[in-house]
Amino acid sequence: MVKALVVGSSIPEIREALGAVASVEEKVVLAYGKAAEDGSLEQLGVKVYKLKSTHPDHIVAAVEKIFNELKPEIIIGWITKNNRAALSYFAGKHDLPMPTDVTSLKIQADGLVYTRGFLSERATAKEKVPFPAVVLINQKAFKPVETSGQSEVIEITPEGEIVKLLEVKEKALSGINLEEAEIIVGVGRGFKKKEDLELAFNLAELLGAQVGASRPIAADYKWLPEDAWIGISGKRVSPKLYIAIGISGAPQHMAGVMNSKIIVAINKDKTAPIFKQADYGVVADLYQFLPVLINKLKERKK
Amino acid sequence: MGDIVVLVKPALNPDMVRSKPDGTVDIDAIPLKLDDIDANALFEAQKLKQVLGGKIAAILVLTWGPADKRAKDLRMVAQEALARGADEAHIVADDSIIPGDPVTTASAVIATIKKAGLNPDIILVAEASIDQTTGQIAGRIAGKLGLPFISFARKLEVKDGKIVAERDLEEHIEVLEAPLPAVVSVTQEINEPRPPTLIQIRRAAKKPQNYYKVADLEGVATPVKQGLEYKILTVSRKQTIIEGDTLEEIAEKLISLLEQEGVIKL
Ligand SMILES: Cc1cc2nc3c(=O)[nH]c(=O)nc-3n(C[C@H](O)[C@H](O)[C@H](O)COP(=O)(O)OP(=O)(O)OC[C@H]3O[C@@H](n4cnc5c(N)ncnc54)[C@H](O)[C@@H]3O)c2cc1C
Repeated sequence: MVKALVVGSSIPEIREALGAVASVEEKVVLAYGKAAEDGSLEQLGVKVYKLKSTHPDHIVAAVEKIFNELKPEIIIGWITKNNRAALSYFAGKHDLPMPTDVTSLKIQADGLVYTRGFLSERATAKEKVPFPAVVLINQKAFKPVETSGQSEVIEITPEGEIVKLLEVKEKALSGINLEEAEIIVGVGRGFKKKEDLELAFNLAELLGAQVGASRPIAADYKWLPEDAWIGISGKRVSPKLYIAIGISGAPQHMAGVMNSKIIVAINKDKTAPIFKQADYGVVADLYQFLPVLINKLKERKK
Repeated sequence: MGDIVVLVKPALNPDMVRSKPDGTVDIDAIPLKLDDIDANALFEAQKLKQVLGGKIAAILVLTWGPADKRAKDLRMVAQEALARGADEAHIVADDSIIPGDPVTTASAVIATIKKAGLNPDIILVAEASIDQTTGQIAGRIAGKLGLPFISFARKLEVKDGKIVAERDLEEHIEVLEAPLPAVVSVTQEINEPRPPTLIQIRRAAKKPQNYYKVADLEGVATPVKQGLEYKILTVSRKQTIIEGDTLEEIAEKLISLLEQEGVIKL
């Protein structure tokens, strides 16, 4: 009999990971952070351990405790930063395999067959690992379980802290849900300064679009809030139209937009890799082309 | 005085993906390069060295083979790591652990630290690689050694035998403190590495590169991951460059194409 431990910090994460191991006979949940405070934990219909902390050291200790008691073959959760940190530490300690960014999963008697991105998602890998294994799944790759029932809830006391948390600083986020956007204007390092993004915002307004960005614009320069960050380590989006402006087309960026219906690239370098990954390309300086495009759209709107 | 250990991955270059006629990945034909965020880790190591002293040791574990065909790429990656500030390179190249898996790689790194007599104050690892992107080697090494682990560091400072770091999470930043020795995974945002200068490149040629086989090391795990199929993801995009005599003409064409596609409504 295969047993699974689902680890997560929110109810949607937990429901999706439970869905990924739906065929497994025995499932228990470790709910940490805000999931541990969520009343709907009571309705998961499985045994739930709750941990009121997001400290990776505490998560490691809690996973360790459940692992020793239950001896699960599968430890599974979403690919979040805390899961990655805590579960890689745990996997290392026990020399367990840990496929990450998994998009499909087959549970066999002697191990797991899964697919995941490879080569910054220029390719896919199908691989197999033996039990016990830790698995981190891509968000929204699996069907969440809807089942409910009374859960048996047990609280675990946080322990095992090695690293000390001194302070938490909030990030300014826009709260925009890029995943739902129908049209996205993506901005990259072709923009020379923050104020120039106004051009992209003007275009977006005319098209009813949201503005997203490459990693350097959001994470490094902080010209946009980080929830605008698109790519392998940011958001994965699937708009009808993605307009990439001053973006070179690095595989890590394109991984986040590959489900777009139509991709338009505006770049002044005709050899930029993005043109091979776009439907329509405009080879032009964005500072010259965008004002013209904006004017044309305004004329058409009249 | 301890050492600064930096993991350097000879990674498959995703910008030079090669495929076989059947659409599978021709892994052996894809060249290796020094992994992107390893350059950030090496750059950070140089900053830490000014405070910590000691030497910077780069550890490379070859995970893509065959080893003899990769010898030149591997030497180049080691040389680049040395040009980017490492004082010595320790390289594990052995077909018995190729293709690698993270369990094996973590154990090989630890075995190399012991074999080379390194005494790390800090072990720096990139948050993720460009070929596998599993982002787990740092955590594994910390877990195996029972060391404090700080992941996704965007800022690092070492003072009085302690490390203070900013850890970058999805919705907030944590300021953390840990005793040394510690394992730290660094993000791409931690610094802006400068390319090596000509002098650095020349000096690198004289720095030691030590090669090891698994038989030279103790406690290297055997790979458990089994590769079944590696397929190229083909994106079929139209790749149409819109031409025109003026930008006005191009803009008009673009707008009408997008209307025809039904993706904009004006
Ligand atoms: C593990 C890992 C994960 C990563 N995750 C992500 C991720 O999630 N998302 C992401 O975006 N990146 C990610 N990256 C970074 C990625 O590799 C690239 O560095 C990044 O996407 C480049 O951003 P860019 O295209 O804006 O900048 P650049 O690559 O610098 O491109 C700028 C482009 O603008 C063009 N340009 C310049 N001036 C003009 C002008 N006046 N008019 C028109 N065009 C102009 C240039 O020709 C160039 O093509 C990751 C990297 C690693 C190693």
